[in-house]
Amino acid sequence: MPILEISGLQKSYGDNVVLRGVDLEVNAGELVCVIGPSGSGKSTMLRCCNLLETPTGGTILANGHQVTSALVDINRLRQDVGMVFQQFNLYPHLNALDNVALALRNVQRRTKAEAQSLAREALEQVGLGAKAQAFPGELSGGQQQRVGIARAVALKPKVILFDEPTSALDPELVEDVLNVMRDLRGRGMTMLVVTHEMAFAHAAADRVVFMDGGVVVEQGTAAEMFEHPREPRTQSFLARYGSRLT
Amino acid sequence: MTGADSGFLFTFFNAEVARQYWPVIASGALMTVGVGLAVVVTGTLLGLLLALARALGSRLLTLPIIAFADIMRSLPPLVVLIVLYFGLPALGLPLSAFAVTWLSLSLVLAAYAEESIWAGISAVPRGQLEAARSTGMRWWQAMRLVVLPQALRRALPPLTNRVISITKNTALGSVVALNEILNNAQGASSHSGNPTPLMMAAFAYLVVFLPLVVFSRWLEQHWQQR
Repeated sequence: MPILEISGLQKSYGDNVVLRGVDLEVNAGELVCVIGPSGSGKSTMLRCCNLLETPTGGTILANGHQVTSALVDINRLRQDVGMVFQQFNLYPHLNALDNVALALRNVQRRTKAEAQSLAREALEQVGLGAKAQAFPGELSGGQQQRVGIARAVALKPKVILFDEPTSALDPELVEDVLNVMRDLRGRGMTMLVVTHEMAFAHAAADRVVFMDGGVVVEQGTAAEMFEHPREPRTQSFLARYGSRLT
Repeated sequence: MTGADSGFLFTFFNAEVARQYWPVIASGALMTVGVGLAVVVTGTLLGLLLALARALGSRLLTLPIIAFADIMRSLPPLVVLIVLYFGLPALGLPLSAFAVTWLSLSLVLAAYAEESIWAGISAVPRGQLEAARSTGMRWWQAMRLVVLPQALRRALPPLTNRVISITKNTALGSVVALNEILNNAQGASSHSGNPTPLMMAAFAYLVVFLPLVVFSRWLEQHWQQR
C-alpha cells in the first residue's frame, strides 16, 4: 500500500525549473533512499511532500490525501508526514523534552503529563532518555539530530521525510544517527531519505532512487542500483561516489 | 539675607519651598508614571502587532508598515505631539493633553518597537518556522511558540532602551500643559520665584526612571542567558 504517491511533480522558481515531472511511490514500511548530485531537486521534491514548498504541477498523495487540495487540512496532514532537517532545526529556547513535546501538546492537544511521557518515550527510543533536560546548545550535532528524529517520531506519523539528515554532522557522529534510522526501519516506520551516505543507502534501503536534472532517472533495489546500474548517468554518478562504498 | 538663607542652598535646595510644593511635584510624578505606563503598554503592543503583520509577508501590509515606521522615526516626538494637539481639533477630534501625549508617544514607540521586534523575527532562521509548521502547527502557533520567544529575546536590549528614552519624553507633555513632573515644577518654580521645584523635578525623574533603567539592565542579562 503506497503511503506516498508522487506523480508528474513539477516545481519552478520563476524561470528556474527544479522538478520536471517526478514520479515516485513509497510503500508502507519501506525505506527509500534518494540519491543524486546537488541541484538535482531531491530536497525540493521532499519539501513538496509536506508542502514546505508548493508544487507548480503534478500531484502528491500522502496517506491517500491530495496534499495540494484546498479541501485538505495541511496541518492535520503534516502530523502524518514527519520531517527531519539537515540543520536539525531544534528550538534553541526549549530543552530536548519540550522540543519533542511541543507539538504533542499544542497540535495534538494532549495533556501536559501525556505529552511529556510520550516525548520521554520518543527520546528513549533514540537513546537520549538521559538528555531530556538538556538544551540544544548543550548537545552534540548527532544528539541534536536524534532529538530531531524523536520530535518527528513522537507524533506517530505514517511516513518520515529525511532531508540529508547526516550532511551537517561531523563524520564520527554520522553513525549514531544512521543507527537510529536503522532501528526505526526495524520498527516498520516508512521513510523517504534524501542522502549522500551511499554505504547506508546500499545496506539499509529497500529501494534506491537516483535523481538528476529534476527527474527520477532510475530506481531499483539497493543491490540493483549499486551493482548493476542501467543508466549511464547513474553509472557515472556512482563511479564518482564509488570511493565512499565499502 | 544672611547665613544659611543665602547662596547655593537657599536657591536650589530651599527647604521651605520644597515643603510647600512637594505635593505638586508628587502629583506630577503620578501623572508621569500614568502616561509612561500607558505609552509603554500601547506602544509596545502596537509595535508587536505591526511586526507580526509584517511577518505575514504580504506587500500590501508591509509597505504601509515600513512607511509608518520610517515617518514616525524621522519626526521629532515634539513635532508629532504639537501636530496632533493642534491638528486633531481641526479634524473635529479635540483630545485632552493626556490623550494627545499618550497617543503621540505610543505611535513613536510603536514605530521603534516594530523595527526592533521585526529585526528579532528576521534574525530567527527560517528553518525554525519550517520545523514548527512541519509538525502541524498553524502559522500563528509556530510564531507564538517558536519564533517569537527567540525574536523577543533578541529584540529586548534595543527595545528596553527605546522604551526608556520614549517614556522620558512624557516631559514633552509640558508644552501642551499636561500636569506631569516638568510642567508642575516649572509652574511651582515661577510661582515661588525659586528653582528648587526644578531640582525636585530632577529628583522625581530619578525616582521614576532609575528603577526602570536598573530593571531593564536586569531583564537584558536575565533573558540573554540562553
